[in-house]
Amino acid sequence: MRVTTGIVLSVATAILFAAAPASAHHAFAAEFDAQNCADVVGVLTKVNYENPHAYLFLNVNGEEATFQLSSTSNLRRGGATVAAFNASMNKQVTVRGCASRNGEKNRYAASYIKLADGVVQRVGQDVEGVFGTKIWR
Amino acid sequence: MTVRTLVTLGAVSLGSALVSAPLWAQIGEQQPNPDKPFVEARGNVTPVRLPPGGSTPRMADGKPDFSGVWFSGPTGRANAWSVVPDQPRKEDPIPFKPEVRKKIDSMTRAERELGRAQVACRPLGVPGMWTDNPYPHQIVMKPTMFVHLIESNNNWRAVPLPKAHKPADEQEPLYMGDTATRWEGDTLVLETISFDTRPWIQGNGWFKTEQTKVIERLRRPTRNFLEYQYTVEDPNTLTRPWTSAWREFSLSVAELTLTENFCTNNENVEQFEKLAEQEREKQK
Repeated sequence: MRVTTGIVLSVATAILFAAAPASAHHAFAAEFDAQNCADVVGVLTKVNYENPHAYLFLNVNGEEATFQLSSTSNLRRGGATVAAFNASMNKQVTVRGCASRNGEKNRYAASYIKLADGVVQRVGQDVEGVFGTKIWR
Repeated sequence: MTVRTLVTLGAVSLGSALVSAPLWAQIGEQQPNPDKPFVEARGNVTPVRLPPGGSTPRMADGKPDFSGVWFSGPTGRANAWSVVPDQPRKEDPIPFKPEVRKKIDSMTRAERELGRAQVACRPLGVPGMWTDNPYPHQIVMKPTMFVHLIESNNNWRAVPLPKAHKPADEQEPLYMGDTATRWEGDTLVLETISFDTRPWIQGNGWFKTEQTKVIERLRRPTRNFLEYQYTVEDPNTLTRPWTSAWREFSLSVAELTLTENFCTNNENVEQFEKLAEQEREKQK
């Protein structure tokens, strides 16, 4: 899949439903579109390491993209520490992001990031099922 | 796959099923994305079940001691990023009154999310602090007191052992309600009434009323495992009481306490409100 400038994605159907089970903070799949995901390449410019969700900000060809991550509780336990993000600051990274369902531009949920050192780091729920788990992970 | 520029999103038209499918039809598991192979990532967890760990620790009075840091599931670790899907619990259907089922099924997905205590940053209450909680628990216990700390929003409840309900004229609606405690053998029973009804019983929209009673049972069959079950009685919403399956929690293998976790300024609320408005527009 190659996405070029100005493409407007219209996603009408084929939405895979998955309710959040009891243990999820909330269902990312309810807010973000599992059928509208892309690898977004840009320069990591800022990290808001905070609850209930951390955020990454990328400069992508002059525009800012915002990525919602999991909570710092999950991030810290999964190795996505402040230090891990800071080591990639102002460097090129690739973030797997699924777009907001409400149409808000440049807002994504991130499932993983390829850091500047090449490490692929889990940062959020398995919205697409690429980790073999439920959509809400 | 390369993305050179930002994806501009617009005209995101959700399928009509999104707003019309009943709740029960929307529960399912994600299928693997055929265009995206599985990804190996740091942070993914392959679950390994803890051994039983020996006999049940006991307090000075001989009753089971539930003290410890506990994670949901069998691994003694955080399992939010497990690569093995949870198996569905085998539970009886919830015997909703027809009008209650209709009300719940009429909610859109965004409305259900907006109603969840986790999204609204409300206290999870009972049983939500056990069941709607992806983060670990810490129990501190002595023969006269049961203290349940949860990492989620750094919330807690402390209940004397044993304890009776307050007199009816002293009842007030509380997130944690008014809990009476007793032992049934090695099982601690916590019976709670007088709820602030805002936190739901389950994230599917099952709401509380002023007549909701929740009876929780907690036991520790071995050192490494804690088991939790709850029963709901509510003549306003159910045709008969409903009892959950037993849920399993495991003793932390590494973490000795909980970490800071506060649900503040949750931007998801604003996002879901926008989505709910779009869903309402499509229903017109």
